Amino acid sequence: MIAQIGLSILLAAVLIYAWTEYRRAPVIAVLSILVATAGLYFVWLPSHATRLATLVGIGRGVDLIIYVWVVISLILLLNLHLKLRSQAELITVLMREVALANARTAEPNK
Amino acid sequence: MLLGPLEAASTERVPPRLGQICLDEPLQLLSYTLEPNSLHAVVGIGLVAGTLWGKPVPSKQSKKLDTRSICTVIAAFNEAGVVGPIVSDLVRRGYSVVVVDDGSQDTTGQVALSAGATVITHPVNLGQGAALQTGLKFALQQNSSYLVTFDADGQHRPSDVTRLIDALVEHKAAYALGSRFLGSSRGMPFGRRVLLQAAIWLTRAMTGLRLTDTHNGLRAMTRAGASRISLRQNRMAHASELLEQIAASGLPHVEVPVTIDYTRYSLAKGQRLSDSLTILFDLSAQKLQR
Repeated sequence: MIAQIGLSILLAAVLIYAWTEYRRAPVIAVLSILVATAGLYFVWLPSHATRLATLVGIGRGVDLIIYVWVVISLILLLNLHLKLRSQAELITVLMREVALANARTAEPNK
Repeated sequence: MLLGPLEAASTERVPPRLGQICLDEPLQLLSYTLEPNSLHAVVGIGLVAGTLWGKPVPSKQSKKLDTRSICTVIAAFNEAGVVGPIVSDLVRRGYSVVVVDDGSQDTTGQVALSAGATVITHPVNLGQGAALQTGLKFALQQNSSYLVTFDADGQHRPSDVTRLIDALVEHKAAYALGSRFLGSSRGMPFGRRVLLQAAIWLTRAMTGLRLTDTHNGLRAMTRAGASRISLRQNRMAHASELLEQIAASGLPHVEVPVTIDYTRYSLAKGQRLSDSLTILFDLSAQKLQR
């Protein structure tokens, strides 16, 4: 039970995080919500996880949950990458304005 | 005889699409689609578009142009050894030249300035895409009528700029895209041909543009065309992004035969196979962003 509550809190945190990220990266947010919701479902109905795991060729339900967690981690990693890209874009805009303000033109030969 | 990737690309008849004009040498067959889903109207065979059997004939329209209203944008990173003569040649032809020194460690900026260019310096290296966007923005601020992107490594010929501008003027296109496969290329390695061919097919799949050369840095655009370009890909993926934006703009474009001269220097600075994977990753990542 303790494990179920702990995992549920973590997955709920993922859901809230995905919701807050929806405006910036909607695809990542939707994927995170889907995976986290699936995670919550299987945490509280592990027998279903076991059945599904057997169906897709994974030995135990708990393994399936671990795999789902790995997938969530990868999605969050991708989201972090996208955040870094957004930061880089902002820095580019800033540098561009600085560069344009300091354009140099050769003095015409007299 | 088996056709290699380049031969297949250069001999293939490419049906024109909405808003696309295709120029083929030596007959300069001009095809132009007027309406969506309409039949392609073959306007004329043997229409001479500034070129007659490879001999440049400046059009009346381009003769009237003030060459100072044509701004050539060059993105340069550590090109002090080659950028000077290129800028001098373009300036001698009367073009405005903007060199975006992309955080070079050498004297690229100073050399370009001495050769007569306006120099914009990025404080750090951001990438070719970022440098081109900076140059395009500057050229638009300077009220240039035509904007040309030109590589700093000596692969392009300044004489081809006239052909691109002629094509824009005569065909009322917004974009003139240089094609080495309609024109010629000297010293292109086999690996580069294969890489470019893969890029052509990928771009066709992503943008719907049926171009013969998708990663040619020699392009010209009108002011209206340039204002529709906003590159967010700082590095090499900008070439594909630019074509996506051309396709999205719906403005007419034209392919123009140009000559690419490969040198040991330019090949050393060019893209590698591993770069293509980075480009694919960058393009995919951008799709996930807003």
